[in-house]
Amino acid sequence: MSSRPSSRGAGDSGTVQTLLRKLCCKITGLPEGEIQPYFQHACTILSSNFSTPAESDEHQVSERIRRILVCQGRERDAIRFAELHRKLQSQGLVKNRWAVLYVLMSLSENESKHAKEKSSSSLFVRGIPGYSTSTPFNAGMRRPFKAPPPSSDNIRTPSQMSNNTTASSGISSIHSDVRSDGPTPVPQSFLPSTTFVSMDGERSHKHGTMSRFADALSKTGSDNAIVPRAGRNQTGMMKSQGDNTSFEIPERELVRDLVFILQGIEGKWIKFDVTKDAYKADKQVGIPQAVRLLVSGLSECGWLLNKVKNYVETRSADKTFGLVGQSFCAALHQELTEYYRLIAVLESQLQEDIDQGIGMNVSGISLRRLLVWTFDPLDRLKKLAALVDICKGKKGGALASAIYSYLRHGDPFTRSLVKHILTMVSQPIYATLLRWIYDGELEDIHDEFFVASDPTVRNDRLWHDKYSLRKSMIPTFITTDQARRILLTGKSINYLRQVCLDRSPIKGREAAIKVDTSHAEWMFTQDLSNNFLNMIDRVYKETSRHLLDVLHSKYKFMDHLKAMRRYLLLGQGDFIRHLMDLLEEDLAKPASTLYLHNLTGILETAIRGTNAQFDDLDILKRLDVRLLEVSPGDTGWDVFSLDYHVDGPIRTVFTPECMIMYLRVFNFLWRAKRMEYVLALIWKNQIFNAKLLKSIPELSTILHQCHMLGSEMVHFIQQTQYYISFEVLECSWHELLNKVKEAEDLDCVIAAHETFLDTVITRCLLDEQSRGILTQLRTIFDLIIGFQQAQDSFYQTAQQELMARQHFAKLQKQRSDQGDWGLTEELEEEERKRRIEFLKTVIPTTRPKFAVLAQSFQDMVQQFLVMVTSHQDVSLRFLSFRLDFNEHYKGREPKLQSPANYQRMKKLT
Amino acid sequence: MASMETSKSQRASSAKQTMDGIMEISKILNTGLDMETLASVVRLCESGVNPEALAHVFNELRKESASIKVNQS
Repeated sequence: MSSRPSSRGAGDSGTVQTLLRKLCCKITGLPEGEIQPYFQHACTILSSNFSTPAESDEHQVSERIRRILVCQGRERDAIRFAELHRKLQSQGLVKNRWAVLYVLMSLSENESKHAKEKSSSSLFVRGIPGYSTSTPFNAGMRRPFKAPPPSSDNIRTPSQMSNNTTASSGISSIHSDVRSDGPTPVPQSFLPSTTFVSMDGERSHKHGTMSRFADALSKTGSDNAIVPRAGRNQTGMMKSQGDNTSFEIPERELVRDLVFILQGIEGKWIKFDVTKDAYKADKQVGIPQAVRLLVSGLSECGWLLNKVKNYVETRSADKTFGLVGQSFCAALHQELTEYYRLIAVLESQLQEDIDQGIGMNVSGISLRRLLVWTFDPLDRLKKLAALVDICKGKKGGALASAIYSYLRHGDPFTRSLVKHILTMVSQPIYATLLRWIYDGELEDIHDEFFVASDPTVRNDRLWHDKYSLRKSMIPTFITTDQARRILLTGKSINYLRQVCLDRSPIKGREAAIKVDTSHAEWMFTQDLSNNFLNMIDRVYKETSRHLLDVLHSKYKFMDHLKAMRRYLLLGQGDFIRHLMDLLEEDLAKPASTLYLHNLTGILETAIRGTNAQFDDLDILKRLDVRLLEVSPGDTGWDVFSLDYHVDGPIRTVFTPECMIMYLRVFNFLWRAKRMEYVLALIWKNQIFNAKLLKSIPELSTILHQCHMLGSEMVHFIQQTQYYISFEVLECSWHELLNKVKEAEDLDCVIAAHETFLDTVITRCLLDEQSRGILTQLRTIFDLIIGFQQAQDSFYQTAQQELMARQHFAKLQKQRSDQGDWGLTEELEEEERKRRIEFLKTVIPTTRPKFAVLAQSFQDMVQQFLVMVTSHQDVSLRFLSFRLDFNEHYKGREPKLQSPANYQRMKKLT
Repeated sequence: MASMETSKSQRASSAKQTMDGIMEISKILNTGLDMETLASVVRLCESGVNPEALAHVFNELRKESASIKVNQS
């Protein structure tokens, strides 16, 4: 019949009407003639503009039917339905299959949704014959009340029954005899005698109890939510009545509430308890203990979410929080978005359940399902909250460190989460780092990077003071050594740009930058790959190499270093000697009478006169004279000093501190050199006078004394000079040259240079520790000067005497030439007296004078030797061996005989 | 002619099968429709009547019939 072509097409209104008329007859059971009003009504309905139902798709409708069946617990029917549907599809005779199915479904839904009121005529009546006739007046009244579906009506538990009866003590008369047909036998005494209005009476009574529940809940005004459920699922409700409160929240309500809680919003029943800092279900609300536990477990999500959300919100608003913090917030936000997506799915699921399955006890989402579904997100939220906890108050590198501490988590799930977040967080650090090591630019307005820059530092201190490591901001995944290299690399670039004024690009930079930008995770996966390390190393080496090249080639660092050695450390012997020759006279004067311009002139002369003139003009220009601070009684020797002007990049190595050290060393060396010079003069005098004064045999002992003392002094000074120039200067210099040659970066050079200066200072006895020895040495030097003066004055008197004698002899010869007697009595007497006078005055005073000088010199040298032996520096031992090579002093000084003993004694006292 | 006859009878039998299937579905869904009504419903649907409206009609008619019955008795 459906296959008849005439029945097809919407335009065939005649067929439709016939069919409709037939239907009306059939359903109402009235004869043809009386159905006219119904038929017209039906026509109006059909012609009225019904919107096409949402599921105008066969598959959706069939799915929905199947779901309804499954929800009702009729799995077998669902399978049968699927089979039938499939058959229908394969036959293909019915074209509007979805429409047919939809009608059937709607009719079926009415069944469960609106209970009996519409279909009672067919089904309910058939099920319980005679019912309809026994309740003739109530068919209309029945409508307002919601009747339970047959299933729950027919199967009644005793508790429900008793509840009904007890609650309805006043109106017990309205039970019908239909009850007696039920499966549970009910004592007759409780049953009403009247047989009619049973159902409606019970319904109305039940409604009364329900409204009582509703009153109890009136605070929240949710009767409408409670009522259908109460009608539907009395059994569960009644069971739980005893163990908790007077009523129970349906699970659906809780689930709906929980979906709110999952978003961190308070629900209807579950509120935020400020005192306990947790979401708690209302104490007054009837929820079994077990369910309460479930709920509180689930609501943890909400609490965690709020925590993370608060952090993100407060931090995002914080302008000073910095890029790292912002990217942390972004990462958190991303995670939260994922989480919100889950909630959206839950919510739509819930909505769908409500839409279609109000009649079902087993809804799509139960608390337990919720628990299972939120298990992973809860875990994730927990991790996020933990991260938020440790990151509180941190920023920049410290924040990255804090997150990194979670990267070693054993759980791969957590590890990947943390890794993801860390990748995002370290992105800004990585970007800053790359900019820093490639371009030397420090874009870190929030002080997050571990390289700090001090803008107040001027260019001449750039290398030393401008950039520093911010210890707290070094992420733990970057080692201190790497951090140092990173600092150096950027610093080198800045140094090149600003101090060396070198703008030449370093080779291969652009390509390298392009490769590197997207590998932030290299930083914290260094145990897996060497990429980061290699990159840092490569850039560091290239940059440092370039910097050193510029220093050596453009700024002639080595030349300057050598100039220091030659001029300030007296390496250029001929120049120093010549300078001393020229200066000797001036420097003997008191310091206050010296004038710098005179001295500069002399320096110029010295340069012109020696090999120094072939030196680089740039270096010679820097050479200058400097007078140290004058204190009363100083001679020129004490205040004179050479100076070397440094500027530009080399000033980084030759810092003012270093220059002061150079000057101190120069001063010491200058003094030692002077002793050598003085002793040379003394020796010259001795040789000269030894021949002259042979004629005065009385003086020979004194001369011998002088020679003895002089050679002792020469020996001392020679050994000291040897020590200074070979043990101290040459050794350190050699080391310095090696280190500079091998240096990887400028810091190495600076360090090597400082070590060199330190060593020189220490070994030249200029440090604090050797002050005693230095004073001793100075005293010895003074003694040498004293000896020079004493000897000079002795030679002077001796020469006067010699001249007098020569004059006498000359006179004698003259007289004899004139033919006189060469000698007269009185002349001879006079001469003899004068000689005796001379010998009497000079010899007794001079001999002890030299004896005292010799004695004190020897004492001092012994003292000096004792001090040297007990000095910590091993290199000084060589000096003491050389000074006392024949154990001359050892024999005299008991302390020197067993230096070990002496040392122990010294330590004990 | 013979082939036409057979095809006609085949069609009739398949139509019967289809209706049986629909009837069973209707039973599973507890619609309370008998074969005749169901056939009408199917034909109505096939002729393009809005199913939702049709369901509505059914409900209305049932309501009315119930009231009629009440009135009668």
